[in-house]
Amino acid sequence: MNQRLDALRSYLLDKKHHAFVKTAAEAGIADLNERFEREGTPDQMRSAIVFSEMMRCQEPVILPGEKIVFTRTVKDVPFIYTDKEWERIKATHYIHERGTVSNISPDYETTIRLGLGARREEVEARLQDEGLDERGRTFLESVMMCIDALQDLIARYEKKAREEGESDTAEVMARIRTEGAGSFREALQLLRAIHFAIWAADNYHNTLGRFDQYMYPYYRHDIDSGVLTREEAFDLLEEFFLTCNKDSDFYPGMQQGDNGQSIVLGGRDAEGNYLFNEISEMCLKASYELRLIDPKINIRVDSRTPDEVFEKGSRLTKIGLGFPQYSNDDVVIPGLVRKGYSEEDARNYVVAACWEFIIPKVAMDIVNIDGLSLAACVKDSLPALKGCKDYEDFYCEVEKNIFREADRICAGHKGLYMIPSPMMSLLMDGTIERARDISLGCKYNNFGIHGTGLATAADSLAALKKFFFEQKRFSAERLLDALKHDFNNDPELKEMLRKEAPKMGQDDDEVDAIGTALLDSFDKALEGRVNERGGIYRAGTGTAMYYIWHARDLGATPDGRTAEENIPANYSPSLFMKQKGPVSVIKSFSKPHLERVINGGPLTLEFDRTVFRNDESIRKLGMLVKTFITLGGHQLQLNTVSREELLDAKAHPENHRQLIVRVWGWSGYFVELDECYQDHVISRIEFDV
Amino acid sequence: MIMTSGTIFSIEEFAVHDGPGIRTAVFLKGCPLRCTWCHNPEGQRFGSELMVKKGETSICGTEYTAEDLAAKLLRNEAIFRMNSGGVTFTGGEPLAQGDFLIAVLEQLKGRIHTAIETSGFAPAETFREVLGKLDLVMMDIKLVDQERHRHWTGVSNAIILRNLETLIGSGKPFIIRIPLIPGVNDDEANLEATAALLEGAAGLQRVEFLPYHKTAGAKYPMVGRSYNPGFDTQIPPRLDTEPFEKRNITTMIL
Repeated sequence: MNQRLDALRSYLLDKKHHAFVKTAAEAGIADLNERFEREGTPDQMRSAIVFSEMMRCQEPVILPGEKIVFTRTVKDVPFIYTDKEWERIKATHYIHERGTVSNISPDYETTIRLGLGARREEVEARLQDEGLDERGRTFLESVMMCIDALQDLIARYEKKAREEGESDTAEVMARIRTEGAGSFREALQLLRAIHFAIWAADNYHNTLGRFDQYMYPYYRHDIDSGVLTREEAFDLLEEFFLTCNKDSDFYPGMQQGDNGQSIVLGGRDAEGNYLFNEISEMCLKASYELRLIDPKINIRVDSRTPDEVFEKGSRLTKIGLGFPQYSNDDVVIPGLVRKGYSEEDARNYVVAACWEFIIPKVAMDIVNIDGLSLAACVKDSLPALKGCKDYEDFYCEVEKNIFREADRICAGHKGLYMIPSPMMSLLMDGTIERARDISLGCKYNNFGIHGTGLATAADSLAALKKFFFEQKRFSAERLLDALKHDFNNDPELKEMLRKEAPKMGQDDDEVDAIGTALLDSFDKALEGRVNERGGIYRAGTGTAMYYIWHARDLGATPDGRTAEENIPANYSPSLFMKQKGPVSVIKSFSKPHLERVINGGPLTLEFDRTVFRNDESIRKLGMLVKTFITLGGHQLQLNTVSREELLDAKAHPENHRQLIVRVWGWSGYFVELDECYQDHVISRIEFDV
Repeated sequence: MIMTSGTIFSIEEFAVHDGPGIRTAVFLKGCPLRCTWCHNPEGQRFGSELMVKKGETSICGTEYTAEDLAAKLLRNEAIFRMNSGGVTFTGGEPLAQGDFLIAVLEQLKGRIHTAIETSGFAPAETFREVLGKLDLVMMDIKLVDQERHRHWTGVSNAIILRNLETLIGSGKPFIIRIPLIPGVNDDEANLEATAALLEGAAGLQRVEFLPYHKTAGAKYPMVGRSYNPGFDTQIPPRLDTEPFEKRNITTMIL
């Protein structure tokens, strides 16, 4: 990192730029909703007006040393509805999370290539169609308003740059206001402006997609024509990474850090080429140097990916940002095709905010619409235990419960309403042609369901199979009574279930087969279901924050887990499993038919920092990752932590402001997390080598 | 057939500092040496014993037949092969359960790359026989001076140095490990003498230094013992690779 960027990094970390920030109320735009309500403004226009006002009220600022500008100066985005209106809508509709478009992968590429001017003309031309319906016309006009507002802010940045004598920046602004990017710097600046715009449009979990692929042509051009040296290009890229951390305090998420600014590197194309280029490499290096939580790096790999890619990834893992996360093309692409995505689209997959596999440009999937607790499905089957003649009989009960739970969940997603987003619509395929907002859908409209508590469920079933059905070591009454009393009345049973029963993650074929069966049942339970948008349902192995929520209502479980104990996050072993080691874990967790649970959700391995004492051990970590991929694992995230450091950080947060940990599908600053998440991170297993 | 069995106190997967590739380390229980800096006191006594960890008492040491242990290790054969890895037998002193070790090695031969971490303190016949069945040897040289060796480890090094000669003469690939203990063996004279022993050894891949770590004493209370290393644990050891480098011996610090 050069001196300029180092200074800029410190400036941003000290949050000095917050001096320019005001609230929407201070900007005088907080009560737009009241006007909308009075005037009966249609939702499409409300979104366009709020966006235009957000752009108008931004104050162009150029921070010291900046070459890639755009800083958010109005903190909060005014909501388009009054509370009363929103309550009314919520009473009759299904609202996903905050109600705005989120967690999709926009097409930055097209607008960066063609320019805002050409995109505006495209909308204008479409408006000439006399066959347009009223709704279509309103939509196209709303998009036009957004383009105008963004172009106007770019123009004001140009003016500001001229005033401050930043003539290079002014030139870049002058061009990107209307033109497509003609250089690497312009491409990064236009990307920054668009990314900034969608955040200001109240969209969230705004992923960055295949950055290395869509940025590469500009980089190649500048290097080949001598416009930039590699070092200069790297500085610009690093500065772009910094911009992702600039306004992130204002981005919504479950917890600080859960903002979904994911980036996806590598991947294999239809011709079999592995697409890891100089930009991919620079991204790893930039992240290594900057040590910041954004953007969060994912690498698409497969069993043929060169060892050096895994090695480079491991070098980044070492510093403890909790990424890169890996996903396996060998599993994900066929899995997506199996779910009805076209081969071409599947090949272009990226990772959503956390881990869900989505398709850029064409998918308006809601990948985290709900969670199904596999552990609860087992628990709810227990009253039937006594009447079951054997384990298979009991498993049928469990499967019935999974189907029943799927019925209940899917029935809940009726009357979906999403707040329109003309700005985001501009960045998605076919919206202009269809003259319909992206909030209404796109080529793919699939819903994803997280499957939580897999290990808890599999371990519980394994314990029942072995001790109840095969060895008949306790009665159904005794078990139910013990669970009811959280094992307080029967510590002996708790010990047996907890310590003697096999656990998923120990490379025990029997319990692993149960895990496989559970995921197969989960997939089967969603098969053939069609949501109200015509999309399908996808099963997944992620948990998101459900690992906290679902554990709360679960009570004690037959794996010996007490009511107050957590269930594992994502696709991971029980938190109290007796560790055999990471090799057994990756073996266990690569056995299931992972192409069937293609909503995603990674296995998480936590390593003590001391593992990485030298280059050789970093190479070995790369080997371990590659082994998981070769064995058919679908997704993996790695964390390097030190238990002592985490405990100290909890006690003395002031000394650990920069301590970064992986939480569920994202990395955040440990001291900014709620206590329940801090405790979960601390309680996870770590491999002390 | 007579079942040969032995006592293991730990099996560790992904042991990154115990040989090449992805490896499993098998810890054989029992050691004839009593190095005062030993960080695995639970590996010193032969046979199983009670261990108290975080308030919970457990039995340290599990009896395995050679067949069972080999079968367990062979489950990961494909993964070891995929990653130029294998199995490392360590301890305690693995050669102290020589018959058991040989029986296990015979079952792994040709299928899994095998290595050993040893003090070299074993009867010459055992050492030679094991050597013939292994792919890689990692051997400690703690102190060259016989009296000092006896003082700090409880045994003479005569037998160790003889086995070292056998090792060098065998042409088998080997790595020498030197635990660097402050004020015990990190002096120039000892390191010079060590390097001189190794000069020109054809099979020597490198010399690895393991600097003493203050946490070495942590496990003693768990097996009901106190840690009395007899040297100042607060002083960092002297890292001097010069005697080796000038003899063109590759070094590495772990």
